[in-house]
Amino acid sequence: MAVAEDAPPGVRPHLPGEAGIWVFILGDMLIFASLFIVFVYYRGQDVALYADAQRTLNQHYGALNTFLMLTSSWCVALALNAARAQRNYSSRRFFMLGMLCGVGFVGVKFFEYREKIRAGFTLTTNDFYMYYYMLTGLHLMHVLLGLGVLAYLRQVAHAAPLSVQNFTALESGASFWHMVDMLWIVLFALLYLLR
Amino acid sequence: MNTRNQLLCAWSGFGFALLFMTGFWLIAGFVPPPSPDASATDIAALYQQHTWQIRLGQFLMMGSSGLILPFVAAISIQMRRMEGSPPILTYTQLASGAVGAVFLILPCLIWTTAAYRPERSPELIQLLNDLGWIVLLMPFTSFVVQNFAIGLAVLGDQGELQVFPRWVGFFSMWVGVMFIPGGLLTFFKHGPFAWNGLFAFWIPLLVFFCWYLVMFVFLRQGILAQARTAPAT
Repeated sequence: MAVAEDAPPGVRPHLPGEAGIWVFILGDMLIFASLFIVFVYYRGQDVALYADAQRTLNQHYGALNTFLMLTSSWCVALALNAARAQRNYSSRRFFMLGMLCGVGFVGVKFFEYREKIRAGFTLTTNDFYMYYYMLTGLHLMHVLLGLGVLAYLRQVAHAAPLSVQNFTALESGASFWHMVDMLWIVLFALLYLLR
Repeated sequence: MNTRNQLLCAWSGFGFALLFMTGFWLIAGFVPPPSPDASATDIAALYQQHTWQIRLGQFLMMGSSGLILPFVAAISIQMRRMEGSPPILTYTQLASGAVGAVFLILPCLIWTTAAYRPERSPELIQLLNDLGWIVLLMPFTSFVVQNFAIGLAVLGDQGELQVFPRWVGFFSMWVGVMFIPGGLLTFFKHGPFAWNGLFAFWIPLLVFFCWYLVMFVFLRQGILAQARTAPAT
């Protein structure tokens, strides 16, 4: 987590953001966890079909998106660091970079979906593609929601000096974005890499 | 200040949940839902064998759905306290909550139509059965809008004493998101995203009633707090 790393030793543990956002984050992670379990369970019933279908995925798109997502998360962490040093301009610039990576992710997803649909792989092709579209689609929805959150954080980073309330908002939003990033890492491993 | 009427409206949400589930689950026997994969003959047999249970269950479900409206109104009153002026999210919640009730009444009427003449051609029974489930589980849109309106109002509450705790705002928005997978049931006849699956039926059902419980508890607290802080008249 970007938030707790620079806490000096002896300081009591700090929950990033406000407590309420963790209701959303943990609730969301619970649902994605059950999606992952369902996917792995049904995959176990018919490994051959899932493995064959997986070979038709384009791993370059997946890897590129993993790179974009990680970079984006890193930018948001840097934006938080800049905000902590009251460097508003730098913080806003990092938020913008984080958003650009997020938009890039959406763009790559568009081309990936287009390639798949043109090759005749749709939601109803087989069970692997059902999970592929549902999981990545739900995740994409979170990315879009997260881009809205980052735009809001960029606005918050205008306040000078940044108040305690501002930091709570920044940390809450950043925690959400890190969750979106983390979910993608698991999705990427399950859909593109799991043998 | 009429605390009694407000509490009555909050309790009506409780009444809805109880009566609706009695009709849906215990009487009509629609939990778990019939499989979307089932043949027309199987579906017709379901309506032929349980005709009067389905009729009675739908009567109860339809009747209880009206109780949503006072509950939605009670939420609106508390939201107006959070929002101040202009109460735009309050109106959004009121409108979308009312539309939500319509989509609980409609499937009851459709299933009632199926059970009205159970001897008709099985294909027609299946058609009405499909229509009922799709009308119940697919329209996530008004629920999402309603829950995001509540969430934003709770998070925007600038008052010294929060009407609802802030986590309820995040919880509400999370609940909204949980209804979205149901919107995609149109693509599936089996598996976790079909209308009898984990993500289109079981999770939304569970989350829906958890939401009622959470809303009820904090509505009641909000109404009582409002009564304490209001100037005596």
